[in-house]
Amino acid sequence: MAGVTLTGVSKRFGGVAVIRNLSLDIAAREFVVFLGPSGCGKSTLLRMIAGLETVDEGEIRIGDRRVDTLPPGERGVAMVFQHYALYPHMTIRDNMAFGLRNIGTAADEIAARVEAAAQSLEIGHLLDRKPGQLSGGQRQRVAIARAIVKQPELFLFDEPLSNLDAALRVRTRLELAQLHQRLGTTMIFVTHDQVEAMTLADRIVVLNDGRVEQVGTPMDIYLRPASLFVATFVGSPTINLLPGKVSDAGGATLVTLADGTKLQTAVSMAGLAPGDTTIGLRAEHVRVAEGGAVEARARVVERLGERTLVHVELADGSPLVAEDAGISQARAGDTVRLAINAAAAHLFDADGRGHHAAG
Amino acid sequence: MATALPQQVAPVATHPPRGRRAAGWANALFVLPYLAMFVAMIVVPLAMGMWLSTTKGDLFGVEAHVGLANFTRLFGDPIFLETVGNTFYFVVLTVPALTLIGLGLALVLNTPARWATVLRTIFFASTVLSVTVVTLVWRLVFLPDGGLLAVISEALGKTPIAFLNDPELAMPAIAITTIWWCIGLPMVLFLAALQQVPRELYEAAALDNAGRWTTLRRITLPAISRTFVLVVIIEIILQFQLFGQPQLMTLGGPNNATRPIVLFIYETGWRQWELGYAAAAAQVLFAMILVAAMAQYVVASRKGAQ
Amino acid sequence: MRSQNRVAIALVVIAGVLMLVPMLWVLALSLKSNAALMVDTNSVFDGVFTLENYAAILGDGQVFRWIGNSLIVSLGMTAGVLALSSLAGYGFARLEFPGRNILFVIVLLGLAVPEQAVIIARHQLFSWAGWHNTYPALIIPGLAAPFGVFLMTQYFRAIPKELDEAAMLDSASRFTVFWKVLLPLTIPAQATLGIFTFLSAWNDYWWPLISATNKQMFTLTVGIASTQMNFAQTEGLGFLMAQAVFAGAPILIVYLFFQKYIVQAVAGAAGR
Repeated sequence: MAGVTLTGVSKRFGGVAVIRNLSLDIAAREFVVFLGPSGCGKSTLLRMIAGLETVDEGEIRIGDRRVDTLPPGERGVAMVFQHYALYPHMTIRDNMAFGLRNIGTAADEIAARVEAAAQSLEIGHLLDRKPGQLSGGQRQRVAIARAIVKQPELFLFDEPLSNLDAALRVRTRLELAQLHQRLGTTMIFVTHDQVEAMTLADRIVVLNDGRVEQVGTPMDIYLRPASLFVATFVGSPTINLLPGKVSDAGGATLVTLADGTKLQTAVSMAGLAPGDTTIGLRAEHVRVAEGGAVEARARVVERLGERTLVHVELADGSPLVAEDAGISQARAGDTVRLAINAAAAHLFDADGRGHHAAG
Repeated sequence: MATALPQQVAPVATHPPRGRRAAGWANALFVLPYLAMFVAMIVVPLAMGMWLSTTKGDLFGVEAHVGLANFTRLFGDPIFLETVGNTFYFVVLTVPALTLIGLGLALVLNTPARWATVLRTIFFASTVLSVTVVTLVWRLVFLPDGGLLAVISEALGKTPIAFLNDPELAMPAIAITTIWWCIGLPMVLFLAALQQVPRELYEAAALDNAGRWTTLRRITLPAISRTFVLVVIIEIILQFQLFGQPQLMTLGGPNNATRPIVLFIYETGWRQWELGYAAAAAQVLFAMILVAAMAQYVVASRKGAQ
Repeated sequence: MRSQNRVAIALVVIAGVLMLVPMLWVLALSLKSNAALMVDTNSVFDGVFTLENYAAILGDGQVFRWIGNSLIVSLGMTAGVLALSSLAGYGFARLEFPGRNILFVIVLLGLAVPEQAVIIARHQLFSWAGWHNTYPALIIPGLAAPFGVFLMTQYFRAIPKELDEAAMLDSASRFTVFWKVLLPLTIPAQATLGIFTFLSAWNDYWWPLISATNKQMFTLTVGIASTQMNFAQTEGLGFLMAQAVFAGAPILIVYLFFQKYIVQAVAGAAGR
């Protein structure tokens, strides 16, 4: 098994820089997810690793082989495409065998590998059909099986779940996680869906505008977002951001909101300058509670079943999303009281860099 | 079953990005065979034709360069001017008829019913015939001595008319032959356009209590107006190139009444072997067609703007 | 409103019958003996028919030579156009090479060049090469028609690029991608283009008329034209009509089988 190393990689389309001097280390056997909004360069980066886009500057290594000069077929990678890219005129068997035939693998070996991959993905009964006769979910499995037969050093997935309906997406997500456990091959998975990223990844690489915003485990990304961008991109509902003023309260940080509310956070003052800041509060840390310290007016109440999201307005008009129990008494127009867990707050300085409570 | 063919143009593995440039030239190999034909059979003859039109010469070669003399001669040549007039007359006779009849047929036959399918097949069938078969058929219709129309008029007690020998009637007869031959194309173009009109439009019109006539005038015709213009232009281009029908039915007669520009080019070139003069006439025709083709392009590319 | 509709349908049905009348007339004449027609074509209504004209065609052999020529020329041109247009269409749609876009525009401009503008010089070129009255002379000019390249380029462009990329990851060479992955997907376009080319070649008149001057090299279209030149004096009216049927019937039968493709091809070529 092989890791992937990107060193100072850049890519421009015409005059537009899509990937800017990006470096990244992916360990062997790791499942890494590239997460970011559309246009952030995540797919381009994946395609550069695959060899489908040229590399303008920098170097890509898979294992200890430099691959950025090799054609795609010689890089030892397999890819599952967003629209599956099954060859419509070939049977499923031929689809799976095509890559092996092109490199001259012996016929009996091809047959054995196709059979094994078909077994493991439970598509053995489909081998003699054509892609057009398959459902979306079946095509997805064939696309994965076609990648597996090649026994690659590295699997690449380009938003492979985006064309499945919700139920199938959840199931396939689980199966991909199991597949990774079973094969132990390095996998890179591109998505704009944070749930996919959180559930699948060993590590998430958050990309924005051709740069790495943050690399970390899913919980790292969620609990200690390195920047405002990461904080807002990850987490649902979107994190609450309020302007405030920082002051030193004996080592820890006191934030004063625009309406005068004072919040004692657990963030260390080290590295923070007194003055303007942005405070980030996830909805689960702003709870609707009888004896809460802050008063607000409920605007919209969204009942999700296991919890309730209450969209409120503070006294000065700033909007906030608070969480309540699944069975909530709150109704739109009500005045509610909020208990804010300021110890879990995140602070972002003027450059958008995140500061978090230690530990 | 390994790759049967050598990897002619695979990207060179060792030294891109410079290698990719080299592969770029290799990629051109795919278009090269066609481009060779294109240059040899279109570009070179086109340029050569333009050059020929400024020369005087015959089968055995160019005798002299005469500049624009061929063109000044053309515009003073009563026969050529007559052929231009004949060509325009023929276009006026055929294009409106082809367009309107084609539209009418399409409107009536735009239904999946079986009878409509049969009729569509019939109206398009003559399109696949060659000009020689078509003219043969219609000469046997127009023939004054035993032709179909003659037999009919005799049965009605009238004297048969020699359509193709009458200077007034020969061109209309050729026009009828042409309409019979070519009606399939405008019909299918209109049918294709009618299929594109969204069904919701008709449903909305029905909910708005629009009658059949109102629906046709306010919904259908506006929706296919672009096709209407395209059909007119396409037919103008096609009918401008009238050649086989008069060449086979009337030889341009009687008294040049049915001689079109293309027949003039053909006879000047291959009967009198005045290649320079024929080439000049061809350039004049080309210029006329080019104007129409540009109009077609403008209309066709307006599609994106809508 | 209903009745208005019915009037329109009735008119179209009548027009449809009128479309058929000339064909039926020729068919009827072809089934009469030349002698009977010499006396009066009215005799078609007497109910006496004969196959002697068709027997005469079979005995003649000339028509078969022309049909053979037409087949060779039409099939040769079709094969050539399909091969050249597929290669060029793939090249223009998928590959990068210097000058690609400008070359494609130039080829498209070629669509606007009518036969009349090039035919004189073409004829000269083939005269110099001494190629007239050969099959290549009848085939080669047709290979340059830009329509096929235009059609195939459009078609290749419509195939998702993911397929090429999947094949490249499957270690396929450029040619394998073309030959094994993309080309099989263009079969509908190949059918459309093939039928259109075959039909145009079969019916082409002007170029074979001036290039094939030797009776042995006539295509069927030119051959039929040559027999009707001295039409007024002909004594074999029935024979002539049988030839017309013989020339027209095969193509009509082909049309009945491939109607969908033919209509598509002809409409596509006009509406490009």
